[in-house]
Amino acid sequence: MRTCYRCLLWLHPPVFRREYAGEMLWIFDQSQSQGALGLFFDGLGSLARQWVLRSGWWRVVLTLSLAVLQVVLGGFAVLIFGHRHIVEPAQDPSVANIAEFARNSVIAHQPLTVGILMYLTVFVTGGLVIMVLGLTFWVKSFAARRRRVLHKVR
Amino acid sequence: MTEDYSPFLPLSPATLHILLALADEDRHGYAIMQEVARQSEGQYKLGPGTLYDNLQKLMTQGLVEASPKPPAHDDPRRRYFRLTSFGRGVLSADVSRLDAVVRQARAHLRTPRRAT
Repeated sequence: MRTCYRCLLWLHPPVFRREYAGEMLWIFDQSQSQGALGLFFDGLGSLARQWVLRSGWWRVVLTLSLAVLQVVLGGFAVLIFGHRHIVEPAQDPSVANIAEFARNSVIAHQPLTVGILMYLTVFVTGGLVIMVLGLTFWVKSFAARRRRVLHKVR
Repeated sequence: MTEDYSPFLPLSPATLHILLALADEDRHGYAIMQEVARQSEGQYKLGPGTLYDNLQKLMTQGLVEASPKPPAHDDPRRRYFRLTSFGRGVLSADVSRLDAVVRQARAHLRTPRRAT
């Protein structure tokens, strides 16, 4: 278990590892008798927090998640609203009918033209730019607010 | 000049316990864990991952700082931490907030429930 914990510490960001890994391993040795598995899961939580929250990777993860969500929602919107103009609405609007929608939808009956590609590109790129700009402004205002508080102290 | 502690409030349970453990004296990581367990009578146990993750955050925020050097009789490899004056202010503000919550709760619990 000690080797697993050492590997876990090694996976932490280098700055954190250099500062605290030695002491964390020492504490692990001291309190191993109280439950090594609990300490291992605590280390897993710390690993996730360090990479996602503290290292700034959460911005990338959030942006990518929102981008994927937007593309998925956009795809569903095209399937559902595009379908209405061509065929009768389904009797049972359940998830099982989505495949049927796709077969009968506007996109399925048309070749992938330059116009459709342009529309999709502009839609996705515009959405991504708006999201990144919004996130950047939010992070900047948050950091400025935090700096103001810290500046008052010093 | 009064400082604005509101961006730091409310403190998370881990942060509150760490600041409380450092309120009376400088301690190293393991001593903080033991003090947290003692203060909470064993109900709240802090692991080393949670502890150092929070200590790193608190040092970045200026609430905690590394103590210059450990006491002479102690292991020199251990790092000691102490509360800054700003950290003490944040802790006091959160304790006042919790105190108000407890007073409100007691007042509400004393009042008999009216039937609707």
